Amino acid sequence: MDHEALAREMRGLREQVSGITDTAVAAADGLLIAADTADSIDPEGLAALAAAGIGLARRTSEATARGALHRTVAYGSHGCAAFYAVGDTALMVVLGDEGMDVERLHTATQPALRRIDLILTRKAAEGV
Amino acid sequence: MSGYELLARDLAACGRDGFTGEVRVSGSPGGAFHLRGGLVVAVESPGAPGPEALLLRSGRIGGEEWAALVRESGGARWPAAGLIAHGYAGAAQLRVVCAMSLQDAAFAVVAGSVDGCERGPAAVAPPAAVAVGEPPTRLLQEASRKLRALLALPYPVRPDRERPTPAPVSCAASRLGALRCELLAHADGRRTARDLAFRTGRGVYTVTVEVARMLGEGLLECVDAPHSIPVRLPADGGGLRPREPGPPAAPPPGPDATALPRRRPGASGINEALTPEPDGGTGWKEFFRLRNPTTR
Repeated sequence: MDHEALAREMRGLREQVSGITDTAVAAADGLLIAADTADSIDPEGLAALAAAGIGLARRTSEATARGALHRTVAYGSHGCAAFYAVGDTALMVVLGDEGMDVERLHTATQPALRRIDLILTRKAAEGV
Repeated sequence: MSGYELLARDLAACGRDGFTGEVRVSGSPGGAFHLRGGLVVAVESPGAPGPEALLLRSGRIGGEEWAALVRESGGARWPAAGLIAHGYAGAAQLRVVCAMSLQDAAFAVVAGSVDGCERGPAAVAPPAAVAVGEPPTRLLQEASRKLRALLALPYPVRPDRERPTPAPVSCAASRLGALRCELLAHADGRRTARDLAFRTGRGVYTVTVEVARMLGEGLLECVDAPHSIPVRLPADGGGLRPREPGPPAAPPPGPDATALPRRRPGASGINEALTPEPDGGTGWKEFFRLRNPTTR
């Protein structure tokens, strides 16, 4: 896997969308792969929460016949946490402050998610 | 034509037309100007904290209290009446916060890049609108003046560009003002002046100017190299595995296989714990006795 390419994607996303404070990429089972997070965030715990959150949202979506899950977003008074599935193998977390334009984030993440999926699966295909 | 000129031309036309509605500005950070009768009554931008963020982040009101006020006001984004009625702020204070936020958001839009402008209808009443709007031309001129003043400082800073860290000398600095102390506490090499403004609940212009001054005085410094992002792989080294599909669906318990899980009354056991037994052994009284052994 191209580590630098993955780091570049995460850093690029934060520079592209105003208000992104932290990003993390984890395996689908919640094991952390990479974190661009502030010291105040526990990235391992965040990855585990994201996996649980995505899993619960996916099951809810299935149980209520809402179709394929696109994303899940938790809104708080100081910002939001968005969880995205990265293909079938991983997930990405984006934390933002209250100024972040969430619609813009969703638009900006789509190409990034596709590229991150390619970076991760390329590694898997190589078996490194 | 530069982005600023495009914005200035379109907003001036809105002023001449007495336009009522919204002008959406695409770009970074971009934003939206809300106009009423050709005057700007509110500006929203991801580049500057709005009145809500200013109140919440400054600690004037907590998140739970804010949510309660929004519920009380029927879902209003800016529950001004509730804020005043519950004593969180005075009417004059709220007017000042809204006016400052409007100016600050206009500055953030002008300080960034403008790709285009588009007029749109006023879908909903703009949140936190000021009672007397600003002429758009004057508003932009003021924002532009602030940007020129900022860029004329010895260490010019853009709200969304520099990501400063405290300089070693900052630890020895004493008698710093409250704002400087806060900025030193939150500047971690990841946050821009815009991010610091949101974090501290202050205007982005104020914070950007202070960051520029602190960089000039050596209290903050900018590290050129981006911080590293460690990447680790799953321990088995075999690459990522697709997520496992859920367990096979259990045979349908009832006639409707697609029904959501249903809660059974009494499944939690709370009734057995709290309802008095026929012999009067346990119940609410026992529950309270457990919580407070002195109760008889």
